[in-house]
Amino acid sequence: MASVASVTPASAATAVTVAEPPKVSRGVKLTLFYLLLLIIAIIFLTPYLFSIFAAFKPLDQILSQSPARPPTSPTWANFKDLFTEYDFGRYLANTLIVTVILTAGQVTFSMMGAYAFARMEFPGREGLFWMYLATLMVPNVVTLIPLYVMFAKAHLLNTYWAIFLPYVLGVPQVVFLMRQYFMTIPKEVMEAARLDGCSETRILWRIVVPISRPIIITATLLAFVFGWNNFLWPLIVTNSNSLNVLTVGNANFSSNFAVQWNLILAGSLVALIPMVILFSIFQRYIVRSISLTGINR
Amino acid sequence: MTAAAAPILVPKHEKTADTAEAAERRQVRSAFTFLAPSLIGVVLFLVIPVIFVIILSLTQWNLLTPIRWVGFSNYANIFRFDGFGHSLLVTAYYVLLNIPFQTVLALGLAMLLNNKLPGSGLIRVICVLPFLATPVAMGIVWNWFFSPTTGIINELLGHIGITGPAWLSNSATAMPVIAFANIWQYVGYNMLFFLAGLQAVPAALYEAAGLDGASKVQQFRRVTLPLLRPALLFVLVTSVIGSFQVFDTVYVMTDGGPGNATQVANLNIYNTAFAGFRIGEASAMSVVLFVLILIITVAQFRYFNRRTVYEIA
Amino acid sequence: MNAPRRSRSPLSWHSVRPVRTLGRVAIITAVLALLAGCAADWGFGSNGGASGTVTLTYALWDPHEQIGYQQSIDEFEKLHPNIKVNIENIPYGSYEQKIIAEFITGGAPDLFWVNTPWLATFIKDGILTNLAPLIKSSNVNMSQYYPQLVALHSKGSAIYGLPKDWDTIALYYNKAYFAKLHLTVPANLSWNANGTGSFVTFLKQATTDTSGHNALSPQFNPGKIATYAIGIDNDPQGGWGDYVAEAGGKVLPYPGAPYTSLDTPQVNEGITFLTKYLTGDHVMVPGSLSGPNANGNNLEQMFSQGQVAMWEQGDWNTLSVKSSVTFPVGVATLPIGPDGRVSVFNGLIDGLNTHTPYPKQAWELEQWLGSPQSEAILGSGGYVWPAIKSLDPLFLNYWQKQGIDMQAFLTEAQGKVVNFPNSPGIGDALTDVVNDLGPAYLGTESVSAALKSAQGDADYVLRTS
Repeated sequence: MASVASVTPASAATAVTVAEPPKVSRGVKLTLFYLLLLIIAIIFLTPYLFSIFAAFKPLDQILSQSPARPPTSPTWANFKDLFTEYDFGRYLANTLIVTVILTAGQVTFSMMGAYAFARMEFPGREGLFWMYLATLMVPNVVTLIPLYVMFAKAHLLNTYWAIFLPYVLGVPQVVFLMRQYFMTIPKEVMEAARLDGCSETRILWRIVVPISRPIIITATLLAFVFGWNNFLWPLIVTNSNSLNVLTVGNANFSSNFAVQWNLILAGSLVALIPMVILFSIFQRYIVRSISLTGINR
Repeated sequence: MTAAAAPILVPKHEKTADTAEAAERRQVRSAFTFLAPSLIGVVLFLVIPVIFVIILSLTQWNLLTPIRWVGFSNYANIFRFDGFGHSLLVTAYYVLLNIPFQTVLALGLAMLLNNKLPGSGLIRVICVLPFLATPVAMGIVWNWFFSPTTGIINELLGHIGITGPAWLSNSATAMPVIAFANIWQYVGYNMLFFLAGLQAVPAALYEAAGLDGASKVQQFRRVTLPLLRPALLFVLVTSVIGSFQVFDTVYVMTDGGPGNATQVANLNIYNTAFAGFRIGEASAMSVVLFVLILIITVAQFRYFNRRTVYEIA
Repeated sequence: MNAPRRSRSPLSWHSVRPVRTLGRVAIITAVLALLAGCAADWGFGSNGGASGTVTLTYALWDPHEQIGYQQSIDEFEKLHPNIKVNIENIPYGSYEQKIIAEFITGGAPDLFWVNTPWLATFIKDGILTNLAPLIKSSNVNMSQYYPQLVALHSKGSAIYGLPKDWDTIALYYNKAYFAKLHLTVPANLSWNANGTGSFVTFLKQATTDTSGHNALSPQFNPGKIATYAIGIDNDPQGGWGDYVAEAGGKVLPYPGAPYTSLDTPQVNEGITFLTKYLTGDHVMVPGSLSGPNANGNNLEQMFSQGQVAMWEQGDWNTLSVKSSVTFPVGVATLPIGPDGRVSVFNGLIDGLNTHTPYPKQAWELEQWLGSPQSEAILGSGGYVWPAIKSLDPLFLNYWQKQGIDMQAFLTEAQGKVVNFPNSPGIGDALTDVVNDLGPAYLGTESVSAALKSAQGDADYVLRTS
């Protein structure tokens, strides 16, 4: 099998004879590569596989058989129960409404804030940024209590507003993420635009956003996953079951009297599938190459 | 490079040259306009509650009876009676287990999968799948995996003649298992940031380095790593902040056991606040944890800022 | 030419599309949501329908029992056309916290389930209404209930709920397994504090290793056990609580006590019997296998897979057991200890919110749920043992028809019982106790040392609650 040495352009005038790396055949490299991919796939997929198996088994098979065994007679009964007896259709709709609103606002406003922190000059920039970061470092368990009382006094408890409002105006994680990314955009780009008389808004929306596709979509994914899987806050801020989101609906199946494993896992799958679909659609935008080199200075 | 058509929209009419100060003032105004929504959100929904928590840490309150002022005694009590010192140690142990492995694995995955070979795209998606699930649902599955007599890990080990330990009941193995579950959940997500960072490095730099005679390893150290620093800073800072506050996985898998071996700080805070209704003590714990995380984060920023190249020079 | 390939202009359609698409999707969804979600969910619109109709909120946590309660409430609404009842299901893990959170902001349900771990806390913090005057004026017959339940929910002359159900602890067992071994489960087994007695002997007969030898046989291999005889978890109600009671020990010296009596010889006896003798004889599932801190989380699965023959638990597990096992199930009474046969006894009540805007209607609902008519619905549907003694056969008959004989639970309820510990903060205190006893089950600490730390931690919680 012909080995392939690393190639340097023959036309390079300053070519220096480089010591050839050991001639590992390309075929061996490829085989190792795909073997590694297979192992990775097994590690990451097996737990999901088990939960998928369990979602299609009745409760007695879940406990009496090994979770690794595929269902002997797969049944849709768990899913049927979720949507007929337990109102999961409603929970799905609630979660979708709240998460989409939350995500749209969060990404937009965080991006604006991130751009300001990254590429605009104003007094107090460092201090304000550290204030944003500092709030991430306080465990959110106890902060929920004053927040809850605030919402109670504002008569916003048990409404959709309560579920997304604390997050929709932007959150420090996403601001931090996008700020890091915006700081890799050369300052000269913005300076040139400013000299040409562009307003900051124009710069942000016409120049920065188009080249920040991957990070915007990453931020959207981040926001969406967070909103979709949020549990403690929606739980304490809603009373009526008609406002339940999926995570809260799922928690109902763990009572001190019984744990309905089949329903919990079916419910988790119901929560998971929309996210997998969303992610699969957008993942290529996240990881497709961007080219900062398209910007000429 | 020749200045080809710059991708900037130029207004049709010529603008008169603004003075420098007017431009500066305009920028400051714009900056605060841009900041306004997130600033309102952060102040209202994050800063104000944090201030309340700091105040509450000096009180005793169980949500129903009136708030009682007790000064700094909570800070002593959490170490004397609530085992918070032990919780901090347990948490530090978890962070040390989690962060190095997770960061190196995330970077490794990003480098492995940063190509156009068929299959890479699919595996990139698969790696991020764990992030999309709730820790609670995955915790249930992991409990099945690691169950001593009915779990698959011990079953497989039994086939090759090893009696597997009681993973979650053994204080030596409980925390590593939890770290494993968390790494599984978040490594793909962190990989995404490294991927974005890797792809921001222009190929021209690698080629130039190759021309200059640099080996692949040298290219990594001299080209990739320095330019990855913004991504690395982000991943490290957020992972450290997140790891110090780990909760869901521990709650579902061990609930702090065996004994107190996995009782991380956030679990202690949660139990003190919501099982014991000792809000003052839970607040004091939160403040202590906050200060700890803040110190570590400042140190991280200091270390990176001295060495980071943000733009491609 | 080494210049990288020039990408499309940043303003190209492809660059902007995903972001624009996302934005459009978001806006459309938001508009649809505003139209679709009913006005009340957005905070507009008032609560309450036609004048004169009162809507009560009733909170509970178990989705299965909810079915039975919904049937009962349907009957109630027929009898009281001006009262509507909305059931609110709050997950058990956050139930106590949610009720308190709602209470401090004035939105707590009018009626809600109350379990004993937080009963005294709720009473002390003024969340529960004293029903004694209402009971008197409505002439509720308190003698129809189990007296221990009435005592559990009373404080002096005040009483905070009408008992509506009860539970005891017994041994579910795998009938197929015992049939295979040609063993019948005797009615009266007994144990002694030194590890002897017919109970231990029977358990040894019921433990088999992978070669089929039981624990009495000299060829028994404790390293290769196929089926343990019994699984008992680290729990004050369904686990050591019963053996401690049978040894004459008490968790609390008296109801409402601000300190525990854990570090005493009798308590030590009860726990040592489990951790030293039963575990040492390899007849009980060791703590490391039963779950984190020996809390028994794995026992249900082990029972279903035939790895443990008898599973000690409360009767609320019957539905779970029925739907998760593939073999016939029997129920045996607890063994008789030095102090007799004693089971931990517990029951829920419906607490009446002291801040309810509708005290009259809420009392109507409370009365109904504590009445023979309502308890008959719940008993005959197999949801709970009714707290009204005369109605117990209904529950028994339901499960008889399902193939499980629940008589053992009833025998114990009619025998000697000890109430679940009751004191402000006891729920949190017992969590600490379980944590501290874990090492004793795992064999990494002596029972005396474990009890000492348990008492210290529990007393701190009770003192500061």
